[in-house]
Amino acid sequence: MARVELKSLNKIYGSGSHSVHAVQDLDLDIADGEFVALLGPSGCGKTSTLRMIVGLESVSSGEILFDGVSVTHREPQGRNVAMAFETYALYPNFTVEENLAFPLEVRGLDAATRRRKSREIAEILQITDILGATPPELSGGQQQRVSLGRALIRDPSVFILDEVMSHLDAHLKFQMMFDLKRLHRELGRTIVYVTHDQVEALALADRVAVMSDARMQQVGDRNTLYNRPTNVFVADFIGEPPTNFFKAEVRIGKDRPVLVVPDSDIRLTPGPAMAQAVMESGRSAVIAGIRPQSLHLSQSQGALQARVAINEYLGERSMLTVTNGSARFQCLAPPEVRAGVGETVQLDYSPDSIMVFDPESEALMG
Amino acid sequence: MTMGETSSRHASTARPKDAWRYVRILFIAFLVLWLAFTLFPLYFMTITAFKTAAETNLTTPTFWPQDWQPANFLGVFAERTNFNALIDSFIIATCNTALALFLGSLAGYAFARFPRQAGGENLAFWILSNRMFPPVAILVPMFFLFDITPWGTDSHISLILLYLVFNLPLATWLMMVFFRDAPVELEEAAYLDGWTPLRAFVKVTLPLVLPGMISVAMLCWIFAWNEYLFANLFVGTAVRTYTIVIPTFTHGSQTLWNLQMAFSLIAMIPPVVLFILLRRYMVRGLSLGVVKG
Repeated sequence: MARVELKSLNKIYGSGSHSVHAVQDLDLDIADGEFVALLGPSGCGKTSTLRMIVGLESVSSGEILFDGVSVTHREPQGRNVAMAFETYALYPNFTVEENLAFPLEVRGLDAATRRRKSREIAEILQITDILGATPPELSGGQQQRVSLGRALIRDPSVFILDEVMSHLDAHLKFQMMFDLKRLHRELGRTIVYVTHDQVEALALADRVAVMSDARMQQVGDRNTLYNRPTNVFVADFIGEPPTNFFKAEVRIGKDRPVLVVPDSDIRLTPGPAMAQAVMESGRSAVIAGIRPQSLHLSQSQGALQARVAINEYLGERSMLTVTNGSARFQCLAPPEVRAGVGETVQLDYSPDSIMVFDPESEALMG
Repeated sequence: MTMGETSSRHASTARPKDAWRYVRILFIAFLVLWLAFTLFPLYFMTITAFKTAAETNLTTPTFWPQDWQPANFLGVFAERTNFNALIDSFIIATCNTALALFLGSLAGYAFARFPRQAGGENLAFWILSNRMFPPVAILVPMFFLFDITPWGTDSHISLILLYLVFNLPLATWLMMVFFRDAPVELEEAAYLDGWTPLRAFVKVTLPLVLPGMISVAMLCWIFAWNEYLFANLFVGTAVRTYTIVIPTFTHGSQTLWNLQMAFSLIAMIPPVVLFILLRRYMVRGLSLGVVKG
């Protein structure tokens, strides 16, 4: 296994006026044995990035290092990478066992060893019963396992999983996530997991790299991304339901700034650290953000009032869409709360949960 | 909307039994007509091949041989070169098919996988459009062109190369379609598994396009086997294809219809046998979408 470093990686498709800058100045350092998720909306450049790591796409500029050795210009055959494809890419005219053993055949292993190794991997993935079947006969979940097995059977420098769960139903997905986590713990491989689904990314990975618009936005663990998102995009993208954003004016109160949302009664008071950052920035207008999870219903007079527009019962909780003046935002409530449409609710929040972003760069202040 | 549909369906199915009977009768009538139209020439050809020469020249044609002459089928080979003509046709058709398939697969692969580097859709279509060209327009220039080659016009190789003009565009275009249908991820997966592009192509992609390739081979082979126009002008002394032998049964004063038909029937055997042997692949190949799954 290997440490994988991407250094100011760029990918430009086409040339001249038709060129597309798919990946821009991307830096990422993945430790040996680490499980990193590459997360971003479709078209953000994550697939181009992983195709450059495995060598299926040439690098426009920048460097890729495996264990400190540059593999930037090596052919995929020379990189010793394994990949599980979104479409599984199983060889349709081979049996499952032949599919599993295919990477071993080219390495000159004899038939008996190939057979033993593919049995072993089938054991781990619990697919011993379908070794004789061909891929078209298998279900999506089984194909998924075989494709994982084919990647796991050898000892690659890095193991890349490209949107491998996007075609699985929720139940199977849960099972696969559990299995993947177990495999990672047992085998200790370096894994890069590419997905557009934050639930998968946050549940599986040690660290999540969030990409958007060809650029790396933030790399961090779950808590960092959730509590200290570097910019509006990450704050919006991570977390479900997404963060509420308000365009607010900065008014200086007694000793700390108050964020006033125009055309509404909303007055937000950020925590001390954020307050100081706002003061230092000297901005008169900012973007304020607060997660729906951070807004709590209160029995007494709360920090802000809002009128319920929609009450969605989601089982273990209810999601309220509320309005105050022209502002419209969401908050979560315990399921037993019976707030009817049109009712006024009192909301409270902890000042530390207020995130303030620069209106131009959209970066988090402080 | 739904109401209207339901009521109109009721109206049209008021007497469904009668309606269906008429459709069936019409269907069978058309089928019989079509079969009569297509099978009659074959039937007449077959019975003529078994007739005596005298019977073929009767003013009132007979529709069943009065006197069966199976010896006609041996009689056509009284002229030994007639058999050689079948061999020559076979050599030309087979070599041409192999060449068209080999070159067409390479070109088709390039157009499917590297469309921009290979010249794009327009070039691919231009190649196909060569097939739509009236061949007679290039008949004379081609003759002079081949005449100055070391092997001349009257040789196997001249026709083998010439038929590429028609078969290569077809093979290229169809193979391009088949390669496009074969998922590129499979090749990429093979690269990552450590296989070189050539071995990945042979082990992974080629088996997927094989049914398509066999259909292309059939189409090319039958075209080359049946070609008459160019063969008639190009060859005739050192090399003779069976297609130019058939008219030789017509002499100055009479046509040996029975021998001509017998020889034609014999010439039909190879393509029919090939077709029967390979029809499973033909259907799979020509229905495209070979590897959707």
